Amino acid sequence: MVFVATFLMMVFHHWISLTSSLGLLLTMVFFLRLGLPWLNLLKGLGFAALTFFIIAWFAFDLLTGIVSGLRLLSIGTVFFLFFQTTPPEALSNALLKMGVPYPFAFVLTASMQFVPVFIRRTRNILDAQRSRGIPIEGGLNLLIHLPALAGPLLIQAFKFADELAEAMEARGFGAPGRRFRDEPRFRWIDGMAVAISLIVLAVVFLIVPRGE
Amino acid sequence: MDDHRMILRFEGVSYRYPGGDAWVLNGLHLSVDPGESVLVAGASGSGKSTLCRACIGLIPHFHHGEWVGRVFVDGLDTRDHPVYQLSLHAGLVFQNTDAQLFNQTVESELTYGLESLGLEPHEIEQRLAWASKMANLDDLMDRPPDSLSGGEKQRVALGAILALRPRLLLLDEPFTHLDSEGTEELRRILRMMKAEGIALIVVEHRLHEIIHDVDRIVILHQGKIVGDGSPHQVLAGKISDYGLNLPPLVRLFQDAGLNQTPVSVDEAIAAIKELRALNLLPLSSAHFLERAQKSPHEVSSRISRPIVEAEDVCFSYGSRSVLRNINFKLLRGECAALVGRNGAGKTTLIKQLNGLLKPHRGLVKILGQDTRRRSVSELSRHVGFVWQNPNDQLFQPTVRDEVLTGPKALHAYDSSWCDELFKRFGLAPLLDRSPFTLSEGQKKRVSFAAALAVKPELIVLDEPTAGQDEPFRRELAKFITELRREEGTIVLVTHDLEFAAEHANRWLALAEGQIVADGPPEILMADPAVMAKAGLRPTHRFQLIQALGDIAEEKA
Repeated sequence: MVFVATFLMMVFHHWISLTSSLGLLLTMVFFLRLGLPWLNLLKGLGFAALTFFIIAWFAFDLLTGIVSGLRLLSIGTVFFLFFQTTPPEALSNALLKMGVPYPFAFVLTASMQFVPVFIRRTRNILDAQRSRGIPIEGGLNLLIHLPALAGPLLIQAFKFADELAEAMEARGFGAPGRRFRDEPRFRWIDGMAVAISLIVLAVVFLIVPRGE
Repeated sequence: MDDHRMILRFEGVSYRYPGGDAWVLNGLHLSVDPGESVLVAGASGSGKSTLCRACIGLIPHFHHGEWVGRVFVDGLDTRDHPVYQLSLHAGLVFQNTDAQLFNQTVESELTYGLESLGLEPHEIEQRLAWASKMANLDDLMDRPPDSLSGGEKQRVALGAILALRPRLLLLDEPFTHLDSEGTEELRRILRMMKAEGIALIVVEHRLHEIIHDVDRIVILHQGKIVGDGSPHQVLAGKISDYGLNLPPLVRLFQDAGLNQTPVSVDEAIAAIKELRALNLLPLSSAHFLERAQKSPHEVSSRISRPIVEAEDVCFSYGSRSVLRNINFKLLRGECAALVGRNGAGKTTLIKQLNGLLKPHRGLVKILGQDTRRRSVSELSRHVGFVWQNPNDQLFQPTVRDEVLTGPKALHAYDSSWCDELFKRFGLAPLLDRSPFTLSEGQKKRVSFAAALAVKPELIVLDEPTAGQDEPFRRELAKFITELRREEGTIVLVTHDLEFAAEHANRWLALAEGQIVADGPPEILMADPAVMAKAGLRPTHRFQLIQALGDIAEEKA
């Protein structure tokens, strides 16, 4: 479970001012593995980072702008790697190990599960509304005609939640004495990952004060 | 009789949902023997789904509300046992498959219930293997449920319930979204369940899909049981007021003034042979055959400019080619049905008709206009869509606003036409109500009126009969006839071949993105090669006519 390491990096790295170059390095390393999906991510993330950079530039100075933009980019990349390499099940298992109650861990993974379902439904709603002449096609038009999308989507989400709750109840959700088929275990590799993360963290904390 | 022998027993059960004033179940008495298979039929709103929920204890544990009487499942009083305990005795496969699949893989979907109940590991493995074999899921174990087809998803939902090894299995309208092959597969699995001694309760409008395989039919009407017995017994009774979609052969016999109630083609042939042998089929025989064989469609002889012209249309999602070299023309007053398997490209094809998708090669012309040069809004002035799920479009505060949304957006408001539509769809008394408070059937009517409000020349109906009861089907049939008389053109996407054979003058059979046949339904159904290629089976009515033709030839 590489995820523990990624998790720690994600939490701590963005507190360090000099991460930007480091984050870029990190990106390059992992770039080798997940080049194409990362480029896809960049379409959205790059734009956000650029905006962030410009705002920070005008609000403070150029250096802050660059640092902020790069930082956003590297944090985004770390998140990206995390979700690309960690199946939701592993995440929920780890949360369970940390003592998070089962219903909470379940809600987290299940909600990820339904992202594609709702993307499909959103597409259906957009198609239905467009085919009756509502030009809900993106940009400003999307904002003007938002109720035509948000209305049906919300109603369907409520209904879906109800149906989901029924189906879960009918399959024993919340019954006492749940047993896991693949009991999540903390293996030595996870221990190593945590140890390496902690060392890196400690080193970085020692170096940073000297840098400033 | 001893309580413990019954797998299910309702004792004077009445129930209404919180905030509702009508009793959805109204003094219901019912018992089901172990291993019995029961078809529960009834119009929309007759209480079928509520009955299912009461069988597995969701009522009264999950849905509160007012409750009278007692329900025993496998001898357990549902009031005294929580839902998870009852789940080992009775399992329900719900209508919406998406909401039932909430795990990452098919395998974890099947084990979810077993893990919840804390079964022993070896027991879990054993049941997993059994359920996977029963529902034919061995090849799908590692797939995420979201990547599966509709039919596969339903098998997973079924497998997840089977893993709990209930002695009573309930399915709520399982055939609604299945194509011919998916229907066959599900029927095969259900027959296996029956052989395993599991009691089955199947809720369905479309009786003919399953009637051949069940021991018993129960008819619900306004929360009461109004018919209960063997299929033949029940069908021979007076049941025309209960909004059932009778098996087509039964309807055919009724129309011909015959008393028999054949539930399969073989039974129908046997019945006719017997009548002939006894010389009891004198005048009505000729009449009967004539009526059955006559094609219900007058061929459109008008020569007009085509409404739709598709020339060599190709379309792909990424590298997956979905439509390949599609060519067809539609004329005024035609009703064409697009038929074929799930995933054959039917939905992708209809989205080409108003420019939601544009061809990657070739072109589509609507009233002579190239769809690539027109926006969706411009085209939707001429092409009306009624999608399968009316909830995808309702968002206005009142029914009136909802119907007038299109005309206002397109500046094509004609008040007398809209009044006519309100009348035609029975919406006049509902105009000031919020569309969200309507029943599903009423919502569907609103979406029909909304699509027609701009007087489109072409109207596209996406699975219009799915999940709808007989009264709605009859209205729909009337509406299609009227529209064709007014020279409207209709494109119908459907798995409901009985409906498509009756109301479309032309079928376009799609298989793997290509049109494999184009012609009148009778011609297509007579060609076994085409039907196999498109994954379709001829309608019962057609099979009977063919068989009778063969008999006549033998005699001659």
